[in-house]
Amino acid sequence: MIGLRSTWAGRICLAVASTVILLFLVMPIVVIVVTSFGKDALGSFPPHSWTLGWYHQLFAPGSKWPGALSLSVLVAALTTVFSLLLGVTAATALVRRDLPLRSAVYGLVLAPMVIPQVVIALGLFLLFDPAAMLGSPIAIALGHTVLAAPIAVLILMATLRGIDERLEDAAASMGAGRLTIFRRITFPLAAPGMVAAAVFSFITSFDEFFISQFLSSVDTTTLPVQVFNVLQYDVDPTVTAISAVLIAVAVLALALVGVVRRLGSGRESGLLPVDSTAALPGNEVP
Amino acid sequence: MAGSVLAPVPASTAPAAKSRVRRSLRSRRTRSGLLNGAPIVVYMLVLFVYPILSTLFLSVKGVHGGLTLHWYADALSGANLAVLLTTLRISAETSLISVVIGFLLAYAVSRLRPLWAGLVMLIIVVPHFISALVRTYGWIILLGDHGVVNSVLVDLHVPGAPFQLLYNEIGVIIGTTSVMLPYTVLLLYAVMRGVDRRLLAAAASMGAGRLVMFRRVYLPLVAPGLVNATVLSFILCLGYYLTPALMGGARQTVVAALIDDEVMKQNQWNGAAALGVILLVLTFAGLSLLRLARAIGASARQRGAA
Amino acid sequence: MRSQRGSGPGAGALAGSGKSLSVSGLRKTYAGVVAVDEVSMEIEAGEFVTFLGSSGSGKTTTLMMIAGFVEPDSGVIKVGRRDVTRLAPQKRGLGFVFQQYLLFPHMTVAENIAFPLQLRGLSKAEVRRQVGQVLEMAGLEGYGRRRPRELSGGQQQRVALCRALVYRPPVILMDEPLGALDKKLRDQLQTEIKKIQRELGLTVIYVTHDQEEALVLSDRIAVMRDGLIDQFDTPRELFERPRTAFVADFLGAANFLPGRLENHTDEHSLVRLDHGALVRARPHPLAPGHRVRAAVQPGRLGLCAPADGFCTGTVETVTYVGTLVRVGVRPAGAESPIRLELPAGRAPVTGEQVGLTADPGDVTLFGDEEGR
Repeated sequence: MIGLRSTWAGRICLAVASTVILLFLVMPIVVIVVTSFGKDALGSFPPHSWTLGWYHQLFAPGSKWPGALSLSVLVAALTTVFSLLLGVTAATALVRRDLPLRSAVYGLVLAPMVIPQVVIALGLFLLFDPAAMLGSPIAIALGHTVLAAPIAVLILMATLRGIDERLEDAAASMGAGRLTIFRRITFPLAAPGMVAAAVFSFITSFDEFFISQFLSSVDTTTLPVQVFNVLQYDVDPTVTAISAVLIAVAVLALALVGVVRRLGSGRESGLLPVDSTAALPGNEVP
Repeated sequence: MAGSVLAPVPASTAPAAKSRVRRSLRSRRTRSGLLNGAPIVVYMLVLFVYPILSTLFLSVKGVHGGLTLHWYADALSGANLAVLLTTLRISAETSLISVVIGFLLAYAVSRLRPLWAGLVMLIIVVPHFISALVRTYGWIILLGDHGVVNSVLVDLHVPGAPFQLLYNEIGVIIGTTSVMLPYTVLLLYAVMRGVDRRLLAAAASMGAGRLVMFRRVYLPLVAPGLVNATVLSFILCLGYYLTPALMGGARQTVVAALIDDEVMKQNQWNGAAALGVILLVLTFAGLSLLRLARAIGASARQRGAA
Repeated sequence: MRSQRGSGPGAGALAGSGKSLSVSGLRKTYAGVVAVDEVSMEIEAGEFVTFLGSSGSGKTTTLMMIAGFVEPDSGVIKVGRRDVTRLAPQKRGLGFVFQQYLLFPHMTVAENIAFPLQLRGLSKAEVRRQVGQVLEMAGLEGYGRRRPRELSGGQQQRVALCRALVYRPPVILMDEPLGALDKKLRDQLQTEIKKIQRELGLTVIYVTHDQEEALVLSDRIAVMRDGLIDQFDTPRELFERPRTAFVADFLGAANFLPGRLENHTDEHSLVRLDHGALVRARPHPLAPGHRVRAAVQPGRLGLCAPADGFCTGTVETVTYVGTLVRVGVRPAGAESPIRLELPAGRAPVTGEQVGLTADPGDVTLFGDEEGR
């Protein structure tokens, strides 16, 4: 590569600094995973002795975690469905069709990514409280979809842009009808993107705190809200284990996206499991 | 299949625009576009725009009806004003620190070979998708009086160790920065990858020293990315309160936490709405600043080109 | 017959029982600009027809209307006896080969070729047999399990060709299929396409802007300009009896020699060229005294002793192009040299005085206002 040769001293400084910064990113995650296997779950690091006890206790009778976990999974599943339905139609309209006021629609769809989530949560609270829907999994999922749908739309738009629309014309020229074209051409080509959109919708909901917090009731709390309450009020050693579970879910989800991308058409390569910037808020400030 | 992409692009002329609009509305591509675009538009209007408008309305509604600015006066005075200033301070500190160290990291990654760059980016991206709540908890474990950080410092006989790193501003800044950092790195990395390094070689060939080169060539090239990352992470911090709530003390209460408190504990919806609108206004101010910066950048480039 | 700018026997005269595609009065405008203007033609079964023209001539739009990707404003398209004008592309039963190949990236080569057969409900065994057959024909045995992106451009285009002909559509449309390939590969594939087309008796409509490609491949060529067909004829007719100056120029880069029509004999028209020479040409209906241009292809001119030719000049340039030599001869008083193509063995020397000969049948006259 044409460029500048850095001095050795400069290189070493940069390498040391980057390593420290990377540790800064990774340490809080590593410490939770390691501590969750330690006998003294809240204490010394690294632990002196090991146990799986905290994980057993997660599902012990009287534990509050299974309820929170199943609510979170239910909400995340609903959110994924809503967000995919909205995402597929919206991405089709934005990429493949002529849409009047296209840029206004695009701005509206992406706006939730830059508006403070606490404001969205407050607004949703004001919407659902009069309807007596607080604590309803559906209400929480509807709220999460406001945050998840923009991400799904961005991923699916990128996916559709990557599919040559003329392939559909080619299939039509051979006699394939609309349904066949969708089933045999468009859908298989879009599948990796749809998996990615589904996974990111799921994680967005699964980890979401603000909207869940505002829309929860006493007996329906999602996992992040429960974790927050435990951390703030009654520290309970099992919280380390459940945090490790949350980490595992996120890592597995990302791995799934990576694998599907690899298997899929295999056209895109690269180590990033994510279209690294597509899933980020703010890149497309209207 | 009329209007297929295969159709050669027609030479565009401008006959009666009105009839063209009417014709385009009749075209199947437009009808299908409206049909496909409608669900998300309706959804966002009902579950995003309407709630925000009703927040806006609630923030100017008096207790016995009528319009009032009472809630804003309340939100901008006394303890509430202090909370607002705290929020701005913490957001500014966090966004500046995460842009500075994000710049270092992104720069280092942009100099790596593609394979290594990919691996390092993986280390940066994965935390981004792990719950901020969980990462904050990790920091609580790390920064406690007997946590890893303090034990290491004590073992190294650093004078004054162990330090109080939790439930004060240091803890909040460390925690929030760690949450914002992947985001700023990704934004900055995208910009840095687009920098043509041959420009630096060209500058060097003209005899520019390292510092001059950095200041006169590299920095101007990545400046738009820096502004972008700073403002966007500032905006994200404004509405964020998990880490301040868990790692801060009473003096690190932020606006978002106050909103939560007013709604959940005090049933002070109007006050909460006013605070929410203030956050919203600050957000829009930040976004407008970005637009302004982009416009200035664009016009500067145009002048440069001319 | 508005589409025929010239006169004489055109496509209409060839209409027979074996026609496999006919187009009449086809017209398309984009926002008021005419892209295709009342194009009519009939194509016989087994014929290789090329639409030749530069970009914007309407050749691709015409092809897309036949395929069904573009809806005509008016006109009728018939495949056999069936009117398909308003049918969707998938209901027309035609084949299409695209310039960009457009192989399905998620399917193997064999799956790509099997796709149209599966749509037609063939049994698995039959699909496998036919796919194997065309792969062999295209010299792609052993490539069936590869993915399209693992093939070279030329191989991909062969697969695209297989995919378009495997289900035996009555007409195969090809839109500059070799446009993305380099010259050598293009020549090779031209030969292969022509061979396969002959062997299987395929009816092909081919679009290109490359006149050499059109001449190599086609039974008949429709030379298009500004949405109209200038002439629809065999390559030989186009070359020897161009109906418009545009055709003469586009196909062979003819010499255009300005002059005035002097008189007519029984067999020829006589033209006094501007630099004084007198040349005999194919008869032209204009009255003597009119300004005309005499078009003659560089390959149809010959050299002789200065006194024996219809005109004399000085050899200005001699350029060897393989087995041919390109010679520029400037008659005294002429603005630009006349271009000749001769076998390399008969090359003159620069500065030599030579005479030029031409068979009157190779010299075509065009009125001065006509075309270009």
